[in-house]
Amino acid sequence: MRPEQRTPIARYGHSLWLLTQRDLRVRYSTSALGYFWSILDPLVMAGIYWFVFTQVFERTVGDKPYIVFLLAALLPWMWFNGAVSDCTRAFLRESKLIRSTRIPRTIWVNRLVLSKGIEFLASLPVLVLFAVLFGAPLDVNALLFPLAIVIQGILTVGVGLLVAPLVVFFRDLERAVKLILRFLFYASPVIYSTTDLPPELHFWAAFNPLTGIFSLYRAAFFPEQLDWYLITISAVMSLSLLALGMLVFRRTERAVLKEI
Amino acid sequence: MANLMAADAPAPVISLTDVGIRFRRNRRGRRNFKDLFGARKRRSRPGEFWALQHVNFTVQPGEAIGVVGRNGQGKSTLLKLVTGVVLPDEGVVRVTEGVAPLIEITGGFVDDLSVRDNVYLTAGLHGMTRKQITARFDEIIEFAEIADFIDTPYKHLSSGMKVRIAFAVISRLEEPILLVDEVLAVGDKAFREKCYRRIEELLAGGRTLFIVSHNERDLRRFCTRGLYLDKGDLVLDGSIAAVLERYNQDYGIKPAA
Repeated sequence: MRPEQRTPIARYGHSLWLLTQRDLRVRYSTSALGYFWSILDPLVMAGIYWFVFTQVFERTVGDKPYIVFLLAALLPWMWFNGAVSDCTRAFLRESKLIRSTRIPRTIWVNRLVLSKGIEFLASLPVLVLFAVLFGAPLDVNALLFPLAIVIQGILTVGVGLLVAPLVVFFRDLERAVKLILRFLFYASPVIYSTTDLPPELHFWAAFNPLTGIFSLYRAAFFPEQLDWYLITISAVMSLSLLALGMLVFRRTERAVLKEI
Repeated sequence: MANLMAADAPAPVISLTDVGIRFRRNRRGRRNFKDLFGARKRRSRPGEFWALQHVNFTVQPGEAIGVVGRNGQGKSTLLKLVTGVVLPDEGVVRVTEGVAPLIEITGGFVDDLSVRDNVYLTAGLHGMTRKQITARFDEIIEFAEIADFIDTPYKHLSSGMKVRIAFAVISRLEEPILLVDEVLAVGDKAFREKCYRRIEELLAGGRTLFIVSHNERDLRRFCTRGLYLDKGDLVLDGSIAAVLERYNQDYGIKPAA
């Protein structure tokens, strides 16, 4: 019985799914709290920011209820942050498997984006729960959620394809990426809204693709956050990053395989 | 080397045309961006060497080929090129059929998962569907002789058992091409004999075999054709007897059979 002859795309999907499943299974079989951990992290973060910005300081940024406003961007941020920082080790961690199977190499990035993306989807009930508890009305813009997910997926894969091979050659990049991500957290409208920025920064904020993506997510509860100008720029930025990522990945693949 | 490329032969399953691959000598050497993105030039840069160069050969379906050479002469690299886990810097590697690589066979196994999950994962990554694996599952476990440990985490298996289950999975893939890289050196004698019989079974079933070994007896047992690699060149492509004779002539090694 030969392995079933299937189209390369079907095989790609099959392998991608197997590896993603493996990731999730390993994560949940080795920890007792399992799923709880993937929502605990954003919850604790959201709790801290909520306390600092509504109880300690007088909140001047964002919208009410602030906790919903926070989570609507914090949860997607966790996806982006987790996937990109995992991508720094995409090749190094799986070197044995990469040396012994000939699955297309982009899988090593895509599976990380996918498994973090699934965790993101799994954490969405938390957002819904808080929206109900704090009485944030769901807007019709919630239908745009899938669009936000698609743009973010494109962006994350693009950045991952860029980061993963370069880290193999420049190990320092691993720590640099962590640092950049921390900077990016504050440079993106997670704890504030783009409208809270000084007007002269609006133009530059638009070039952070996360700005438009978060505005799209937030529009589900805060329709005034919807800004098609930002979203268009972020879609264009995401696609260009994907193109750049694919180019870099293709050019470096040969050297990566020798190095690991 | 044209003697084996008969004109009326069927389409080759493996063909290498002027294949070369180079590696860096010093791992810690500086990489720069120009180096990474620069066009693939034919010349070797300083600090690099050609592990293989100008390698040409074709393999017909059903052939059994042994690769011979001293350590570090590019044998494993050649196998990896055929598997597709490294890419050549020049030339073309064309493999038209599926490959079951017995190279670093335990590589895909995950410590924290049970043997059962690992079998499904590894076989799946090599292209088998869930249904196919289920149909083969008992056979695989029986071959590996670890029926009592199906639900044990992989990390708790002994190193011998790890190799056994890995061999059992990959050798059940039944792809048309089988690549073997000295994995047979591990395992106890009885299991090794079982592996040999399995390989012979596969050969009898018309598989193409590509084997790297230092064991002359194994090579003579399985192979009809030999490739002799020395200093990155394909020195001789002929019958396995001729290749072994030349190899022993050059290096005067009496292999410890």
